Amino acid sequence: MTWRIILQLALSGLSIGSIYALVGLALVLPFKASGIVNFAQGEIVTFGAYLALILSGLGLPYLAVVPLVLVGAAMFGMATERLLIRPIANQPEFTLVIVTFAIGFIIKAAIRLHWQDNTFSIDAPFVGPPLVLGALRLNPAYLVFILGTVVVVAALFLFFGYSKFGKAMRATALDPIAAKLMGIRIGSVFSAAWALSTMLGAFVGLLLAPVIGINPEIGHLILKGLVAAVIGGFSSLGGAVVGGLLLGLLETYAGAFFGATFKNLVPFGVLILLLLLRPQGLAGASSVRRV
Amino acid sequence: MFGKGLRGVFCAAAVLGAFFGASFGTFSTQARADEPGVTPDSITIGAFGPITGPAAYIGLAGRDGANLAIKEINAAGGINSRKLSMVFEDDGHSPTKALAAVKKLIDQDHVFMIFCVAGSNGTLGTIDFVRENGRVMYVSFASAPGVTWPFARNLFRGGTTEVPRYGELYAEYLHEYLKATKIAILNGREEYPKNEGDALTAQLKNWYQTAPVKRAEFNIGDKDFTPQLLEIQGADPQVIAIFGNPAEAAIAMRQAKELGMNQQFFLGTTMVDQSLLNVAKQAAEGASGFALLPLLPSSSNPEMKAWVAKWKQEYPNLPAGRPNVFDVLSYSDMYAVADAIKRAGKDLTTDRLIDALEATHEYRAGAIASPLTFTKKHHIGNLRLQAMQVKNGEWEPVAFEGKRESDILKRYQ
Repeated sequence: MTWRIILQLALSGLSIGSIYALVGLALVLPFKASGIVNFAQGEIVTFGAYLALILSGLGLPYLAVVPLVLVGAAMFGMATERLLIRPIANQPEFTLVIVTFAIGFIIKAAIRLHWQDNTFSIDAPFVGPPLVLGALRLNPAYLVFILGTVVVVAALFLFFGYSKFGKAMRATALDPIAAKLMGIRIGSVFSAAWALSTMLGAFVGLLLAPVIGINPEIGHLILKGLVAAVIGGFSSLGGAVVGGLLLGLLETYAGAFFGATFKNLVPFGVLILLLLLRPQGLAGASSVRRV
Repeated sequence: MFGKGLRGVFCAAAVLGAFFGASFGTFSTQARADEPGVTPDSITIGAFGPITGPAAYIGLAGRDGANLAIKEINAAGGINSRKLSMVFEDDGHSPTKALAAVKKLIDQDHVFMIFCVAGSNGTLGTIDFVRENGRVMYVSFASAPGVTWPFARNLFRGGTTEVPRYGELYAEYLHEYLKATKIAILNGREEYPKNEGDALTAQLKNWYQTAPVKRAEFNIGDKDFTPQLLEIQGADPQVIAIFGNPAEAAIAMRQAKELGMNQQFFLGTTMVDQSLLNVAKQAAEGASGFALLPLLPSSSNPEMKAWVAKWKQEYPNLPAGRPNVFDVLSYSDMYAVADAIKRAGKDLTTDRLIDALEATHEYRAGAIASPLTFTKKHHIGNLRLQAMQVKNGEWEPVAFEGKRESDILKRYQ
């Protein structure tokens, strides 16, 4: 295996890892805010792709479709939280898990009603001939995946670090009761967290749609997103990003060195090993129980 | 003094009388229709295929094509005064679900025969059960050899030919028409694409004493093929044969071009369809493969255009990419089945249907279908495939016809 191949694989691994990182982020956000893992996140990715398909079909260019999809996804996220999640927020965790699964199934079934399982595509300005960097070839779409993830992470960092509402969300994640006592409207925080989360998921769908096509199964990425979030420590946004990139690299190199069968075997094997050695994940904090 | 004893006798007599009465009634009903699924005015056909999951593009088309044929047949008066109806079950492209579907169709729905629009993956899960059960199963799509070999009197393969024949035609086309001696294979790990890869490999060895320079696999649902493509690139093939689903093949082709791989692509039969071109776009230009039909739905042939128009009238809300080849295949295969049912006569039984099917000679449901022939010795209806190539974003027929004698029919002699 030459250095060219190793670097080419690294580019490929980082780009697919960026997608996993974004899905992982989209899972961690509502979990940090409301303690709920949204198992419909995979179908949110699919929802974003199909929303882009509808808007593209109306003749809108990709750059006009992007903000519309993000706004639509945010509204969907807020509506889901307000109408379906908040009323049952005090129910056992398993109930909430099942509800999010059900939301995902409903989204997929609704998509299938009209589009069935046919594959579609949309045009995007970043899909084109590869960029040649010496012996390396970089798919511009992959570059957009990586840069998109960097931009999202930077934006989240600034939002949570420096904005008033971002700090309110962090406070709510730390201690909802204390946050409420301090005058923070935690209902708004929960809604915002879900809106951000669905926007992220839809953003992934927007990125993937022109590259891999659109069909109801593209949302199965959630499993990889979950793994990314767990590797990073489910309470850490940065950890989810690192987890996603690591997963993408592991998967790509495992496939190259050991074959297609090992593409899934190695990453999940590493996940189990990591959890045995460091159950809180790479960047998660150990839970402290006072006795 | 007769009390309990006599009451007991009367009770027993009443029960026995009720039993015999019900049996007589049932027997009377059965005397009118001995075969399950056959009544004086209807014939119920059971069907199964994947209408969910990554292979749903074949099952949905199979169901819709067959339903269109049934609707037309019934509108024309049915068959021997009986109307056809179809009960459809989803197999999710899984062998276990397919078996469950067939068992339900036979044991609970009591269908007359099975019309299979499943892929090889699902179909193979049902073969042993159907062989033993004895109901006729007519397989429209699955190319796995197990459908027709070992020979079973009640199993028939319609419009699609079996995968060893694919291997013969692929090998001859690649070696003698494209003049390629260095061929790499990239195939999915499930039954059908793996069979295609195996068939091509076997036939390259049998006829040309060569082997693929590289063979790589991918998992269904994969979105990145960089590792496999780099491996293939290292072997420097002249042609890359890809066998799998259109969604994955399209991504692989685009990624190959992005990696600077300019080899010609050769594609499996399920990919010779518009759905691949929707995603692969320019990356598919120049790719070739074999179609299961003499005409693709995108053809400008007047008969195909008329067929597509009536299909769209029946299914006005279905999206782009439909109808596909599987719509046409199942439509024409349902007509082939209906033709055999008609020739089997009013006194319809499984045996008579089998005899009628075995007497089918060069039957075709118009220019859109391949001619079908079954005999008492083999039940492979079609041995033809049409070579196609992508030119200016459309699949166009290629003037290639396999000249080498097929080895397949020799085993049935």
